[in-house]
Order: sequence, then C-alpha cells, then structure tokens
Amino acid sequence: MATENGPTLRVVENLAWKLRRRQIVGSRATALETLLVLRQVITKSRFSNMEQLVTIIRGVGRRLVEAQPKEHSVGNTVRKVLHHIREEYHTAMKGAATETYSGFTISKFVLLGQPRKQTVVPKTESKGTLKENDPDDPDAFARSLKPVLMEAIQDVLDELETVYDNVSKNAQNHIHSDEIILTLGMSKTVESFLISAAHHRNYTVMVLETAPSYGGRGMAKTLSTAGISTFLVPDSSLYGLMSRVNKVLLGAHAILANGGMFAITGSLLAATAAHAHSTPVVVCAGQFKLTPLWNLYHEYGALDFGDPNQVLGFEEDGLVDKVDVVNPFYDYVPPNLVDAFVTNDGDHPPSSIYRLIKETYDDEDNEL
Amino acid sequence: MSAPTVPDAPASTSTSQPSQKNMTKAERRELQEKQRAAKLAQKQQPSDSPGKSKPKAKPAAAQRRASLGPSDSTGLDVSRSHPLTSAQTADAEREKSRSLRIFSHFGLPKHGPGAKGDIHPCIVQLALQFSECIATLTAFKTVIQDYTTPPNTTLSRHLMTHLSPQITHLVSARPMSVTMGNAIRQLKLEISGSDIDMPEQDAKDVLCQKIDDYIRDRIIIADEVIQDLAGKKIKDGDVILTYARSSVVEKVLLSAYKQGKRFSVIVVDSRPLLEGKALLQALTSAAPMSWTLSNDSLLPPPPPIPCTYALLPALPSLIAEATTVILGAHSLHSNGAVFSRAGTALVAMMAQQHSVPVLVCCETYKFSEGVMLDGFGKNELAPSHLFQTDAASQGPNLEILNPLYDLTPPSCITAVVTEVGLIPPSSISSIPMALGRINL
Repeated sequence: MATENGPTLRVVENLAWKLRRRQIVGSRATALETLLVLRQVITKSRFSNMEQLVTIIRGVGRRLVEAQPKEHSVGNTVRKVLHHIREEYHTAMKGAATETYSGFTISKFVLLGQPRKQTVVPKTESKGTLKENDPDDPDAFARSLKPVLMEAIQDVLDELETVYDNVSKNAQNHIHSDEIILTLGMSKTVESFLISAAHHRNYTVMVLETAPSYGGRGMAKTLSTAGISTFLVPDSSLYGLMSRVNKVLLGAHAILANGGMFAITGSLLAATAAHAHSTPVVVCAGQFKLTPLWNLYHEYGALDFGDPNQVLGFEEDGLVDKVDVVNPFYDYVPPNLVDAFVTNDGDHPPSSIYRLIKETYDDEDNEL
Repeated sequence: MSAPTVPDAPASTSTSQPSQKNMTKAERRELQEKQRAAKLAQKQQPSDSPGKSKPKAKPAAAQRRASLGPSDSTGLDVSRSHPLTSAQTADAEREKSRSLRIFSHFGLPKHGPGAKGDIHPCIVQLALQFSECIATLTAFKTVIQDYTTPPNTTLSRHLMTHLSPQITHLVSARPMSVTMGNAIRQLKLEISGSDIDMPEQDAKDVLCQKIDDYIRDRIIIADEVIQDLAGKKIKDGDVILTYARSSVVEKVLLSAYKQGKRFSVIVVDSRPLLEGKALLQALTSAAPMSWTLSNDSLLPPPPPIPCTYALLPALPSLIAEATTVILGAHSLHSNGAVFSRAGTALVAMMAQQHSVPVLVCCETYKFSEGVMLDGFGKNELAPSHLFQTDAASQGPNLEILNPLYDLTPPSCITAVVTEVGLIPPSSISSIPMALGRINL
C-alpha cells in the first residue's frame, strides 16, 4: 500500500490550508501549485504498481479539492496529471504487454472522441523492462517509471507557463481594426490577448469597472499603458454602450462540461446584454480551466460569496445592522450566451467543450 | 497687371489668396512681407525676439532673397516645416478624437458659459445644481415675481423674451430634460394666454398660481395616485426589486408599508451615483420605533422592511428571488421606451428573462411625444466631481466615462404606472390624447 511519509503529507496539507485560507487564489496560480505538489508527491512516494500510484495521486487530489472546491483548476490539474501518467504507462507497457494497439477504429472514435494528441512518441525505450509487482525489487517499477512521469508533469507545467502566449497568438484574427471591444474585471488571459492584438490592430477597449472588486480599473490602467485606447465605464452604462460594441471579451474561472462557465460577477449581465444586442461573446481561457462538472443549480454562481464590506462599508453605520448585503463572487454563464472559447489549443464553440474534456481527462477521474 | 514680375515666393504660394490678382504690385509685396514676417515670428518665437524685427527692417532684400528660393534657408525652412508640423498636429488631433468621436455628442458639462443677458441669480444657481422639475418651476416663479414689464409693451408679449435667455442659460449648463421642456411649454402657453388688460402684479400672481397648480396636479397629486395604483400590486410576502432611487418608487414602497403590507425589498445599486443608499436609508428608518396605543392595548412596533442591498453585477443572482420589479423613470417616450438612470435597462432586461413583471412608475408630465430608439444618442455624463477614482487613473490613452442615463426598450416593460392608470408600454402614445393634449 502507499506509504505516504511525513514530508509528502506536509506539502499536501500545506497547500490545502493555503487554499482554504484563500492565500492562493486564481485558477492558474492554484493549478501551478497543485502541479508542484504532485511532482513532489510522485518523487517521494513508493509504489510497485500502477493502481498504487493512481490511488496516491487521487488521494492527494481529493484532499486538495475538498479544501477548496471552488478552485476547479486544482481538480483539473490532478485529472490531467492522471491522464498523462496513464498515457505514459500504456506507452511504456506496450513493449512488455502482449496487447497490441489496434489503432484507429470508428467505434473507438465514437466512444472516445478523436484522439488529437494521442500520437505521443514513446519517451522511454525501456521496452520490456517495466515489471509490475516484482517480488524481488518492489521499487523497480517506480524507478523505471519515474523519469517518464517527471517528463509528463513537465509537459503540463510547460503548458501552464505558456498559456497566455498561446491563447493570444491568434488575437489578431479575432479583433479587427477600429472595433470596440467590451471587457470586464481583471483577467490576465484577456489582458495578454488584448495587448497581443494591439500589436497588429488599432482598436478601442471599454472596460467595465466591475463592482465591487473594481478589477476593471486595474485592467484599464494596464491596457492604456500598453497603448490601447481605453474607456473605463461604470457597470451601469453596460446596456447603453452595448449598441456600439462589436465584441464582448470575457475571462473565465472554470469552463464546464456543457459549455457554460463560471466567471466573475458581472459576466452574466454582460453576456445577457450582448445577447440582447446580438453582439458576439468570446471567452479567453486556458485549457486547464476545462472542468468535467455541470452546474444545474446556478443561483448565486454556485454559492461563493465575497466580502460584503466591499458593497456596503461599515462607514454606513446606520445601515449595516439593518440590511442584508449580498456579494456573490462568480456568475454562471450558460452555454447559449457564449459564442466561442479561445483557448491555448484552438478556438472552440461551447458545443464541443465536452469533446475536449473527454480528450483531456479520463472518465474514471471525474470523481476523484 | 496680370503676369507678376516678381516670382511668387514658396511661402506666399502656400497661403495665396484669391483676391491677390486684383492687388497692385506694392500691395502684393506688402502682403507677402506681412506673411513672411508672421511666419518668421511664429518660428522664432521660442528662440528669440530680435530676429523678428529683421525682415521688417530691409523688406526689399528679404523679398529678393526669398524669391531666389534655395539660397534662403530660413524662408525655405519655414515654408516646408510649417505644413509638416501642422499636419502632424492635425494627425494627433484626429488620433485623439478618433476614439472620442462616438462620444463627442455626449453633453460634457460645459462650465462657465458666458451668461448672456441678465440671468436671474436663482437661475444661475439652479444651473449649477442637479435640479429637478419642481426646483426649476419654483425658480421661474421667483423670476416672474422679480420681473417688471418695460414701458410700451405688455407682459404677455415681453415676459417670454425675458425668460428665454434664462432657459437658454439652463440648457447650456445641462441638456434640457423632457420634464423641463413640458413645464416650460406649459408656462409659455399660460403667458401668451394671459389677459393684456390685467394689472401687472395680478397677472404675475395668476402665472405663479398656474405654476403652483401644475406642480400640485401633475406632480404631487399624480404621485399620490401612483402610490395607490402601484401599491395595489404589492401583496404580503412579495419581494420587490428596485434599482437606484426614484422618489416615486420610494413613496410607493413606504405607503404600501404604512398600509400594513409586509414585503421585503431588494435594492440594486451601481456607481457612479450610488443613489440606492439613500433609498435604503429611507426604507430602514420607516418603521416607527415606539410602541403604539390602540384600543387600550400597547402594540409593538411593526417589524421594519427587510432590505437586501447589492451592486448591479450581483443582479442575476438576485432576480430569481424577486416577485415584482418596480422602477422609476426620467422620461417616457411615445414608443414606450423608458429613459431612466443608467442601469435600469439591465434590471428590466434581466427581469424579463426571468419572467418577473416590471412596473415603471412615471407621472404623465414626464411623457415625451418623441420617439427614442437608443440611450446612446442623447445622454449626459456625470459631473466630474461625483467620481474620484483612485490613483489618478487618467492616463494618455485612458478616458473615464460616466453616462447617467440609458434607454429601456418597451419589450422589457410589463406596465407603466401613471396617474391615469396602469398601461402597457405599447399604449403610451394614446395618453396625451386621453389627457386632451392641451396639458402636454
């Protein structure tokens, strides 16, 4: 059985508490931290077959997800690592096992979806040397598999580190000259997308202030410093301005299996107003935000609340004890309000998100 | 006289005037000289002044040298560099206005309009404030009382010429609102209809009485009727959602509460004005604090109105809980569109999507006969002192816009509550007819 030694456990607990205390927030930051913890866990843990390894990683994943269920990218990263590990394992075992890979069949295509990235080159030449449950040397399996696993994790890490560049590399195909783009909140992905488009196009951005966090102010400042003509407008003017807006650009917190998404409050309002004006809504997000979950009960954006002090401060001392103050953190934007997801791996309509999820994760990991 | 003996200097061709041909040689020379002097002065202004007097001192020499062209480097420089720099500045100007062009019509607060004619001090003060209809009419009452008809004319003919600069002054400070337009139109009607033979003071008193009647009938009584009508739509246990603060909506909610209805209120609010806090203050302080004596028994004070407060982005989370949305209006147009505080359209849109009925409380004096299709075309920006964004956020490419109004399309409105009844927005155009049109 997995012998989780002290330091490993401590690393996991450490991250779990940081997540719980919201010392680490934001989907990319949490994904990166999760990945680093998983790397340490795999380095230090002992296992002699595949099931043991998967059980260890799943255990860590479950612990982290329970600590902060609202940071969906934690679970996504664990799922992605599991998927990569299985892939590497199958590649390594191909030589040892007698099972022959039957290649591409239409039934598999229907069952699994088109394997886009499945054409992995075997990263190890250890054909036939991989032995599970070797009674003489229980660590032999781990010893021979670990270098491959590290490479798999490095792949995920590289993807995370280049995600902004890859999302924004096609920006000039989405933003055209003299367009008016509306965006809101503070999203690094959207920011780099807009700045990258500004290298090729001359356009105008309108940034909603996005109360109560007022992240739009920082966003407007960054964009204007980058030389983009920027207008900072209050949330209330959204509907009035929408008739002049060519495109609405949103960031996402998590993209769900049905093509809907969780995003900062205000996104649903903007997407609905855009829908009323038939303005296209484009969402910029890395693929680590793809989450194999559904949100059917989306009141209060799946029940995550911010600080009420931001909405009605204690300086209004006559009011604070008499009034309920609501400050939901996320909105759930249904798939019918989104026109396209621009990801680091191509542009996708909401209707094909389920396929991406099937390719990226293994079905058995949906519940960690 | 046609072929000029002196070839035109490059500087003069660039600024040639059509009348040049009709001038005498001396005149033309003088003109050229003047232009060159002006240009040199313009060029040398930053560097030094002594150069300025030089060309004037020996005009003939300068003329000849200039006509030789390339030899005179300064003259060439001037003629060449000047159009270039002007093109550059024009380019920069265009660059700046390119981003601004679609907002160029937004009535930016024009401060310090040169007061033409004698503007009454109370109008000057009014122009500096955010005034509403009652304040405007009260100010006009003062103006009328302080007015004396000059000799050889009558009040009914001259008073309007006295009032129109005051109105112009108000409009120059803020775009004319529909309510003000309606009130002024009514006032003009009364003035032109006033009896010529009436003593001046009596005529003024009659006019002031008419203004008081207008305020009473069209605003105060109308509000009371609306309170009644909208109050009937509030039932026990309802959740009323409203946006920002409208004085009519506030009165409706308070009167329904005083009638003993027990409902809760969600106040949605947004920058730049955050008016909802004032409404919240009024609603939470509505409950009487003391025990009341009725039928010889002490009754505990009724529970206060349960209020929820949220900012506009949280609206989609809250709209599902609301049973009715009650909104105020700034003006109402004959196509049923409601021009109101910025953000109202978003609330109405969300309510319509969630099948929550939307009531707009609006007195008939806010009705406009025009059609409005877009809240963008005619709007107003919040005065800059109302928003202090931190960190000196004004940058070279950054503009801050705070539009005050937006337009709610009639499709998002269930009914308009007026003093003549609850009507669907599609029937707005029939209201002036119902009122006999004379009042509008």
